[in-house]
Amino acid sequence: MATIEQKGMYKVFPRSGKNVSYTHYCPGCGHGIINKLIAEACAEMGLQDETIFVDPVGCGVFTYYYWDAAHISAAHGRASACATGVSRARPDAVTIAYQGDGDLGAIGFNNAFQAASRGEKFGCIFVNNSLYGMTGGQMAPTTLEGEKTTTTPFGRDSSLTGYPLHVCEVFNQLKAPVYIARVSVADTRRIMQAKQAIRKVFQIQKEKKGYAILEILAPCPTNFKMTPDKAAQFVIDEMEKEFPLGVFRDETADHVNPKSVEVPLVKSCMELFQEKDSIPAAINDAGFAEKRFKFAGYGGQGILSLGLTVAEAARLERRHTLWFPSYGPEQRGGSANCSVVVSGTPIGSPTVEHPDVLVAMNQPAYERFAADVKPGGTIIVDSTVPVLVEPPEGVKLIKWPAIKMAEEFGVPKAANTMMLAALKKFALTGLTAENLETALIASFKKKPELGEKNRELLRKAEAHE
Amino acid sequence: MVQINKECCKGCGRCVTACPKKCLELGGEMNAMGIKAAKYKGEGCISCGICFYNCPEPYALRVEK
Repeated sequence: MATIEQKGMYKVFPRSGKNVSYTHYCPGCGHGIINKLIAEACAEMGLQDETIFVDPVGCGVFTYYYWDAAHISAAHGRASACATGVSRARPDAVTIAYQGDGDLGAIGFNNAFQAASRGEKFGCIFVNNSLYGMTGGQMAPTTLEGEKTTTTPFGRDSSLTGYPLHVCEVFNQLKAPVYIARVSVADTRRIMQAKQAIRKVFQIQKEKKGYAILEILAPCPTNFKMTPDKAAQFVIDEMEKEFPLGVFRDETADHVNPKSVEVPLVKSCMELFQEKDSIPAAINDAGFAEKRFKFAGYGGQGILSLGLTVAEAARLERRHTLWFPSYGPEQRGGSANCSVVVSGTPIGSPTVEHPDVLVAMNQPAYERFAADVKPGGTIIVDSTVPVLVEPPEGVKLIKWPAIKMAEEFGVPKAANTMMLAALKKFALTGLTAENLETALIASFKKKPELGEKNRELLRKAEAHE
Repeated sequence: MVQINKECCKGCGRCVTACPKKCLELGGEMNAMGIKAAKYKGEGCISCGICFYNCPEPYALRVEK
């Protein structure tokens, strides 16, 4: 004897400390009908052990109590982003995101839209009941014009709140989705169509064909303030006028997944961040006097890479090292600066408030940082900079023609290398000449011919008196 | 033949409206929640299963053929 009964659901739902066999949905809720269809499709297609459901925030939140498969609960609106991660981490799984219209259409629209645009390999089942149900029936992007909700008590006024958002139609502008359809659960015929469409979404995921979205119009008798029958009729008479049912796209038959680029597998973060011939960790050496540097100028002078070169030299020497670019508001005026700390012991703060050495390549940089330099410290300022403010007492000022020399050598971009020459010549870094040169060459790793050229220029510049 | 688990019925009436043979009705026995569950009139069921698919509850209805 054949029996028509629920498949794919747990027998008992342990909600709120009680073991019950009824759902949390209100009487006549569309979610209930849809939940049953989804569980049935999952079970009948034999996919329960392969399916990972991504559950939403909203009325659909408790599906993990119902569907007998794997679940992950996403933050509000984030089910599609979460499903992206799940489907990428577990490409063999069937990933299904279940979202409502507040969740997908409002707070999570961009997540869902971008996932669709990327053609993520999951199916999105999108329940549209034209309002925020769980929170008490507020207007959602899908609320119909003139529809009364708790936040539109006189009916949605399109002059104030715009027009209903047609998710399927919008998604249909994207290239990647393979299946886009809208169905309803307002009556038996529509429920049977919805059942077929849900199976289709599972089938597409089973065959790894790509992104599919199925919008399901659902009645919310509680917030429509209607009887279940009237609410279902409202879906047919009003919602379907705004949101016509149908298949907007079905490219499953001839869909070919784009071939992905082979990416070598990274085994660990250490491997990701360290080069193959990585330098061993820093050595603790309390005898090494900590050096704090500030490099400043305008963007394009190679300020940040000059700092990096010094930091790299320190790393080669197995010092504790930090390089810290600063993005203050002056960044927008074209100024750039970075801090470098080189220490014999682990470094607490990467910020450099009082540098031992300031390298200033333009006037604003000099004027901004000169007063901060420690007594006994050194300022190297480009000789083009008019020094209108005296350096603090006990601070040595070196005017160094970095920009001029770079121009004379025919490589104006190498002004930062000229500055490195000064740091090296006056032994301001506490680092060996060899390491400074090695770091300089390493900074041109992508253009090796420039590395040697810069070393040559560095040595020439050092000869300057 | 339709079987109703009254403890799971919320009395929404979707099954009553959907039944092509009009053999279901509301106002049956009261369940623990205080809801008068849907009930089978006792005759006319053709075991089509339409009530099951219209019902939002997984375990309120089952149909034996």
